[in-house]
Amino acid sequence: MANREPHDGPILEIDNLSISFFTRMREIPAVMDFSCTVQPGEAMGLVGESGCGKSTVALGVMRDLGVNGRIVGGSITFRGRNLNAMTDEVLRELRGSEIAMIYQEPMASLNPAMKVGKQLMEVPMIHEKISAREAFERALEVVTDVRLPDPKRMLDSFPHQLSGGQQQRIVIAMALMANPSLLILDEPTTALDVTVEAAVVELVKDLGKKYGTSMLFISHNLGLVLETCDRICVMYSGEAVETGSIKDVFNKMRHPYTQALFRSIPLPGADKNARPLIAIPGNFPLPHERPPGCNFGPRCDYFKTGLCDAQDIPMAAIKGHDRHSSRCLRFTEIDWLAPRALPSGKAKGSVGNPVLKVDNLKKYYEVAANSMFGGGDTKVVKANETLSFEAHEAETLAIVGESGCGKSTLAKVLMGLETATDGQVFLDNRNIEATRIEDRDTSTVSSIQMVFQNPFDTLNPSMTVGRQIIRALEIFRYGNSEAERRSRMLELLDLVKLPRAFADRMPRQLSGGQKQRVGIARAFAGGARIVVADEPVSALDVSVQAAVTDLLMEIQRNEKTTLLFISHDLSIVRYLSDRVMVMYLGHVVELGDTDQVFSPPYHPYTEALLSAVPIADTSVEKQHIVLEGDIPSAMNPPPGCPFQTRCRWKSEVPENLCETRIPPMRRLADGHEIKCHLADDILMRMAPVIKISAELHNSLSVRRQVRSRAT
Amino acid sequence: MDPMSWTGTLGPILNPLIVASIAVFFLAFLTQAVMIFAGMRPGEVVITPDQNHGISIPRSPVDYTLMAMKYAILVFLACIVLFFIAGVFQSDLTDQGVVGAVGARFLPVWIALIITFTVSIRFKRVLGLYGKLFDSPIGMVGFFLVMFWVFTAIFAGLVATHGPIDVISQMRNEVPGAFIPNSNEGDFPAYLLGGDNLGRDVFSRMVHGAREVLQIAPAATLFAFMIGITLGLPAGYFGGKMDTVITFIANLVLAFPVILLFYLLVTPEIVLAGVPQYMSMVLFIFPIIFFVVLFNSRYHTQPTKRAILLAVVLVTGALCYFSLISDRGDSDSPLRFWPEVLDIFDIPGNLLIVFVSVVFVNSPTVFRIVRGIVLDIKTRDYVAAGQTRGEGPWYIMLWEILPNARGPLIVDFCLRIGYTTILLGTLGFFGLGVDPESANWGSTINEGRRLLTIYPHPPLAPALALMTLVLGLNLLADGLREESLKD
Ligand SMILES: Nc1ncnc2c1ncn2[C@@H]1O[C@H](COP(=O)(O)OP(=O)(O)O)[C@@H](O)[C@H]1O
Ligand code: SF4
Ligand code: SF4
Ligand SMILES: [Mg+2]
Repeated sequence: MANREPHDGPILEIDNLSISFFTRMREIPAVMDFSCTVQPGEAMGLVGESGCGKSTVALGVMRDLGVNGRIVGGSITFRGRNLNAMTDEVLRELRGSEIAMIYQEPMASLNPAMKVGKQLMEVPMIHEKISAREAFERALEVVTDVRLPDPKRMLDSFPHQLSGGQQQRIVIAMALMANPSLLILDEPTTALDVTVEAAVVELVKDLGKKYGTSMLFISHNLGLVLETCDRICVMYSGEAVETGSIKDVFNKMRHPYTQALFRSIPLPGADKNARPLIAIPGNFPLPHERPPGCNFGPRCDYFKTGLCDAQDIPMAAIKGHDRHSSRCLRFTEIDWLAPRALPSGKAKGSVGNPVLKVDNLKKYYEVAANSMFGGGDTKVVKANETLSFEAHEAETLAIVGESGCGKSTLAKVLMGLETATDGQVFLDNRNIEATRIEDRDTSTVSSIQMVFQNPFDTLNPSMTVGRQIIRALEIFRYGNSEAERRSRMLELLDLVKLPRAFADRMPRQLSGGQKQRVGIARAFAGGARIVVADEPVSALDVSVQAAVTDLLMEIQRNEKTTLLFISHDLSIVRYLSDRVMVMYLGHVVELGDTDQVFSPPYHPYTEALLSAVPIADTSVEKQHIVLEGDIPSAMNPPPGCPFQTRCRWKSEVPENLCETRIPPMRRLADGHEIKCHLADDILMRMAPVIKISAELHNSLSVRRQVRSRAT
Repeated sequence: MDPMSWTGTLGPILNPLIVASIAVFFLAFLTQAVMIFAGMRPGEVVITPDQNHGISIPRSPVDYTLMAMKYAILVFLACIVLFFIAGVFQSDLTDQGVVGAVGARFLPVWIALIITFTVSIRFKRVLGLYGKLFDSPIGMVGFFLVMFWVFTAIFAGLVATHGPIDVISQMRNEVPGAFIPNSNEGDFPAYLLGGDNLGRDVFSRMVHGAREVLQIAPAATLFAFMIGITLGLPAGYFGGKMDTVITFIANLVLAFPVILLFYLLVTPEIVLAGVPQYMSMVLFIFPIIFFVVLFNSRYHTQPTKRAILLAVVLVTGALCYFSLISDRGDSDSPLRFWPEVLDIFDIPGNLLIVFVSVVFVNSPTVFRIVRGIVLDIKTRDYVAAGQTRGEGPWYIMLWEILPNARGPLIVDFCLRIGYTTILLGTLGFFGLGVDPESANWGSTINEGRRLLTIYPHPPLAPALALMTLVLGLNLLADGLREESLKD
């Protein structure tokens, strides 16, 4: 490989780095006074909410800040050489070979018009001038290393012929071809499904060990960082606020923001009563509107006037910890073991009668196999296969599954945007499966409404917030006059806890969380009785997720709404749902109470999903179940059990049953059903996927008891 | 009497400056080209590593030549402005010179421009996209040029020195600044930009031409847009067979040679058969459909409001529509039942042809732009939200999708007015379309073309006018595009 001069000491040393973007109006300081060190073979995690400057740090290291970005202070030292002082040529050489970067979107790094193998071989052929034969050998080896099936065929395909997970593996392989000393990964798995994400993360971890590559792993997900990294650096609004080893930061955090962050995320190890979510109040400051003194000041519980807002806060080391420091003036005074102030527990409303009943619902799409000329062969996509379930008044039913499993199709049929191919949907004992939305009466339409996933898309950008809600009221025929509707609109803003002044704002003046609240207000405008929430918080930052989730739950409690909560995030599902329905390739594979679904016996797919969820809790022991391969296409589902291509329990079923017969829905307990051939005794043998390790658990509960006695 | 000089009394002072600035500009340009060729680069931004991140830009020789060019242009413009200002205050034509006198004639336009710019810049923060235009120098220059011609069109009566078709036979092909022999008391005593081969005033024809051009081009473009939008929205939104058919027709029209189309439209047999009239009957109905659907989709939940709005739209729409397509003087008109009392205005047949052809040429392109934007926007969640609360397709197209497509459409509208202006010129150039006597820039250029080598001034003035207007529209579109992307 490249003959590099040996170097001991840190691979990457960033010292007081400041980066600004210059626009015509002003300077935008994106990163300020940022320091961190990555030792050889070490994986450094960089976490923070979007816009806090994580990517800017990475691009700064790559010296790829675009036309208006500049390093305005500090230094970046890579293997003892100062990156700031390098010429473009040297940098270019360095970027391809010694530092490699992996982006969120795999296609951004791949050339769509070139075969994968050729792209891989180019890397060492350019940087190391090795022969094509040698390069091919290396490509084959690396592709095998990233665990792609059938490496030779992979090398011979174009990027678009691969799935998202496979593309991301190719990008990783490409980075590894140069055998870099530093690998920068910017949210490498955000675009992937959870089970695929788990496999890619597992891979990255193993490769780091095998090749001895240092890593800078950027993520907004604390759980992922826990699983992949040795050290962590928490960023807030352009600054590093806390850095240290994973263990120290997760268990002995010394910065109020880190603490607040941990308190706002759901952990599947605990349920909502023991550990309710606490949202961080307020909003993330924009780069040019940062407060004086501590950036976190306005949202900090420990804020002290005259101290925290009086000076710039330096990073200070914490005595007795290993390279652990915090940017807080009061971390020695704060009682870090004080229990969280529990919000007064609100009693859950009792679940009422069934409002929605779905019986053997099927939705098939016919797609022309040869779309150019229509006609000819048509293929059938089975988006929903014999779905049956009921949803009761004031109940939260979570619908869980990865992309392509038919969640959105189900939502469309319920909303009337599509009609069912077969089966029945009853709303209060009236069939609605064949009635398109334009044929439904206003009351039916207004009683099933939807909350959408992407906050940046959910509101019409060129209409004021108030107008959009009033329009919903108009179309639901609420009120007789404009004034009546306007006052109702203001009430709806109150309901979602937004200031009334927002009525006259344009959506672009609102933050993501606020837009999502408007989306909720709009859905409830016609007094919706069933609300389908399609991943309503997954695009929001963690600190905002908690607040929006709470709001949704509270409205539901008061209005006795039935909430169909679509999600792939099992942690949040555990927090808020009463019952859970797990879907895979159009089938319901498991249905039951939250407790039943989250404890063994599981359906094999549920088990894998649970194991894939990254958990930001060092006391949790997780069984690692890595699913092979990707989700099959709904156009071409496997015969027999839909999950059989990836199932690790398949061998326990006799007579090849899994590959030949679709398993029937079976009742395991009252209200708990799974779709699997596994025999009862095998199901009973299943071990829980998530365990709170006994020792830590005990020490925690002892601490809790001591506290409660003291108070 | 000798014609007046170009630069009047200020000439001896400012002329050397003007010549010098032009010389400096070209010298600097050449030097810079040589330097860049030799591998020199402009200086790059350097951040001083102190506390408050000052930026400094060290200058290289290339920067100095750039500066020289910039200042040369500024000096040149300053001289012209000085001529204009002096012209306003001098009363004698010989003192003013041609440049000064022209500047003085445009006085109402200058005043209007100054008011517009002061007010707009003062309130730019509350004026939305229009206000943001004043953050972009390019956009401002474009807006200035466009508004110059708009105000010229508005104040044409005040600015022009003579009527557009007044003929003074002694003034045939006279040079710029020529005095009219024994002119009447009270009449303007000179032809500022000379006379054309019939003895008409070139300056006045240019000014009145602005009115002709700006009356037709924006209106015709607006029609083209309405038709493009009314067809593009459903094609993009519904897709399927309808989309295939409309797209095919649009491509067919686009592939049709424009000039051939114009010739066909003015061929006597075709005109006699009433083809342009039938075409206009179809084309002009689209705006009515557009507005009816627009208001109906929005207010169908409030029957009274809807009834009032629709009545207003339908009555005015029908009145305009039938006035437009029926012509009491024209016995060939296919539509003669419309009572004359209600026929509020007539459009000369030629103008109708211009409208029809402009719409015919432009709307397919607009259609394609709209369709493309719709394909993108219809996947947004707010469109899905509209569908799930039971909005009709037209509400979604017109109120949810169209407003969010406005950025690219406004930009394209500006560009397309420029294109239409040239198209009108081309039409006039071929002797098609508007009245041959008219002051329309295209026709004027065409007329002057024959004697171009001997008397270049008659076609030059309208050609420059056309050029600056189109340039202004393009710059304006650039500025708008730049600023709308920033949000
Ligand atoms: N090219 C740019 N021009 C101006 N501001 C930018 C640019 N790129 C990023 N920023 C700003 O810098 C800040 C940090 O952004 P980024 O590093 O992308 O955050 P993260 O990766 O943590 O989400 C944000 O406020 C962002 O708006
Ligand atoms: S410095 Fe003050 S405001 Fe900032 S985190 Fe510490 S206690 Fe909170
Ligand atoms: S039926 Fe077989 S393949 Fe399917 S989930 Fe059960 S064990 Fe696995
Ligand atoms: Mg980022």
